[in-house]
Amino acid sequence: MFTRHVSRQLAAHLDGQLAPSKARQVELHLQQCPRCRAERDEISRGMAMAEHLPSVEAPAAIWSSLERAFPGNPSRQVSAPPRWRWAFAAALMVVLAGSAYWRFVRAPGLQWEVTRVDGAPSVGTKAIRGAGHIGAGEWIETDARSRATIQVGQIGSVEVAPNTRLRVVATRPDEHRLTLARGEIRATISAPPRLFFVDTASGTAVDLGCEYTLTSDETGAGLLRVLRGWVSFERQGLESLVPAGASCPTRGPGIPYFDDAPEELKRAVDAFGVTKTLDDPLNIILSESRARDTLTLFHLLSRVDGSDRARVFDRMAALTPVPAGVSREQALRLDPETLERWKDTLLLTW
Amino acid sequence: MVRLSGREISTEVIESCRSGDRDAFRALYDLYKDRVYSIAIYFFHGDAAVASDVTQQVFLKLMTTIHQFRGEAEFSTWLYRLVVNACLDAARSRKPDFSLHDRARMETLAAPGSQEEDYARAQLASSVRAAVSALPPKFRIAVLLRYFDDLSYDQMAKALNCSMGTVASRLSRGHKILAERMKAVRGTQV
Repeated sequence: MFTRHVSRQLAAHLDGQLAPSKARQVELHLQQCPRCRAERDEISRGMAMAEHLPSVEAPAAIWSSLERAFPGNPSRQVSAPPRWRWAFAAALMVVLAGSAYWRFVRAPGLQWEVTRVDGAPSVGTKAIRGAGHIGAGEWIETDARSRATIQVGQIGSVEVAPNTRLRVVATRPDEHRLTLARGEIRATISAPPRLFFVDTASGTAVDLGCEYTLTSDETGAGLLRVLRGWVSFERQGLESLVPAGASCPTRGPGIPYFDDAPEELKRAVDAFGVTKTLDDPLNIILSESRARDTLTLFHLLSRVDGSDRARVFDRMAALTPVPAGVSREQALRLDPETLERWKDTLLLTW
Repeated sequence: MVRLSGREISTEVIESCRSGDRDAFRALYDLYKDRVYSIAIYFFHGDAAVASDVTQQVFLKLMTTIHQFRGEAEFSTWLYRLVVNACLDAARSRKPDFSLHDRARMETLAAPGSQEEDYARAQLASSVRAAVSALPPKFRIAVLLRYFDDLSYDQMAKALNCSMGTVASRLSRGHKILAERMKAVRGTQV
C-alpha cells in the first residue's frame, strides 16, 4: 500500500530517532516512493555537509566579564570542599562514556567490526589498535599511513584507504549506508540489489551486487570504478548504470565509460559538463566511440538536448542496430519505455 | 544524581555552583562555552560581537538562576533552552536577519586551527558555514543544536519548546535546504 509521503520524518529516520514500528512504515514507503527516496538522499547529503561546521572557541574575554559579575565571597570559594572536583572529573568521564553510549543506543542497527590494516585509523576520537567496532553516526578516519577494513553486517566488507573520512549512517539489515566525506573505499558486497549505499557530496553509489572502488573529495569530485557486477550512481533524479570494467566520474553529469575505451574519449567524458577546457567534448566522444561505448552514448542521450541528442542517437544507430520497437522520434523524446527497451538490448554488449 | 541526556553528572557540581563556588562554575563554563559560542556565532552569521554577548548572557542567566534548577529537567535541556531563547531574543532586535555583509563575514570566518588542507576544502567549509547561516532561524537553530551537542530529538524538542515531530520536520527541511544551496554553490563553481 502506498502511504503518505514521509518527508517530515526523514531526518529522524536517518538519525535513528523513530520508533521501530514507525521506522518500518517509513522504510516500506521509501521502497515504493522514488520522490521520498530522492529527498532522503538529499537530506543525508545536507547532514554530511553540516559535518563541515567546526567548533569555534569562545573568546577568553567572555569569562573575564562573567568573573567580574560573579556574586560570591572569594574566601568561601577557597574554603569550599574540593570534593566536587573529583566528582566533576568523574562526571566528565561519565559524560564521555555516556556520549559513546548514547551514540550506540540511538544507532538504528548493529555495530560493525573494524579491523586495523595499517597505521592508526580512528573511530571518533579512539584509535583502533587491533579490532574495534563502529556504529551508526560514527566516523572512521585514516591518515596518510593508515588503512582499515569494516565488516558490513553479513553482506560484505569495505576497505578504507589512507586519508579517508567515512561515516556509518545506517547499519540495519535492510539498509547499510555510509557517507564518504573524502578519500577512497573499496566495497566488496554480496547481497541483493539496493541494500548497500554510499553517499558522497555529489550523489549516491547504490550496490546492485558487486565490487567497486569509490573516491571522492569534499566537493563530490571523484570516480566510481566497478570491478565486478553493477553499481548505480544516482543523483538529482539521474541514474548512471556502471558495469564491471567501467568507471563513472561522480561530478558533472555522471557519464560512465569503459576503462578500455580510447583515452581521448575518457578525457572528453571527464571534461563534459565540468570544464570548458576542451573545445567540444561531445565531438570527441562521438568520433572516438566504439560499439561497446554505447554505454557512454546511452547515458549521454538524456544529458544533452536538441541537435546534440540527435547526433548521439545517430552515432549509436551507426554503431549498433537499433532494436525493433525503438524509434528515433521516441528515443529523442526520452520516452521511458523506449529507452528501457533499448537499454535491455544494449546490456548484452556492455 | 542529575540526569544529563543519559549521562550522569554529580549534583555536587550543581550544588557547588548554587552555593557560589566560582571554580565549579568555571568548570561548567569550560565544559559548555565552545558549544554555546559556536551555536551563537553560526546563528548570527559570524558576528563575533553578538555571539560573545549571547554567550555571556546565557552564562549570566545560568549563574543567576541556577538556584532554581531542581533537576526536574535535564541540565543540558535547561541550558540549551537558555541558548535558544537568547539567540531568538537577540535575533528579534537585529534585522534584517542576513545581509550581504554577514554573508561575506561568514564566508571568511576562519576555522580555529584550521585543518583545511587545500583551497577546495576551505571553500567548501566556508560555503557550508554561509549556507547554514542563511537558513531560516527556526531551521538554523535546530540544525546547530543537532551538531554542537549530542541531544536526542526529545531533548531538542524541550529546548526548542516544540514537539518532536516539529524538530524532525525542521531538521528534514533544514538539511534539505542546506543540500540544495550547496548544490547551487557547487553548480556555480563548475
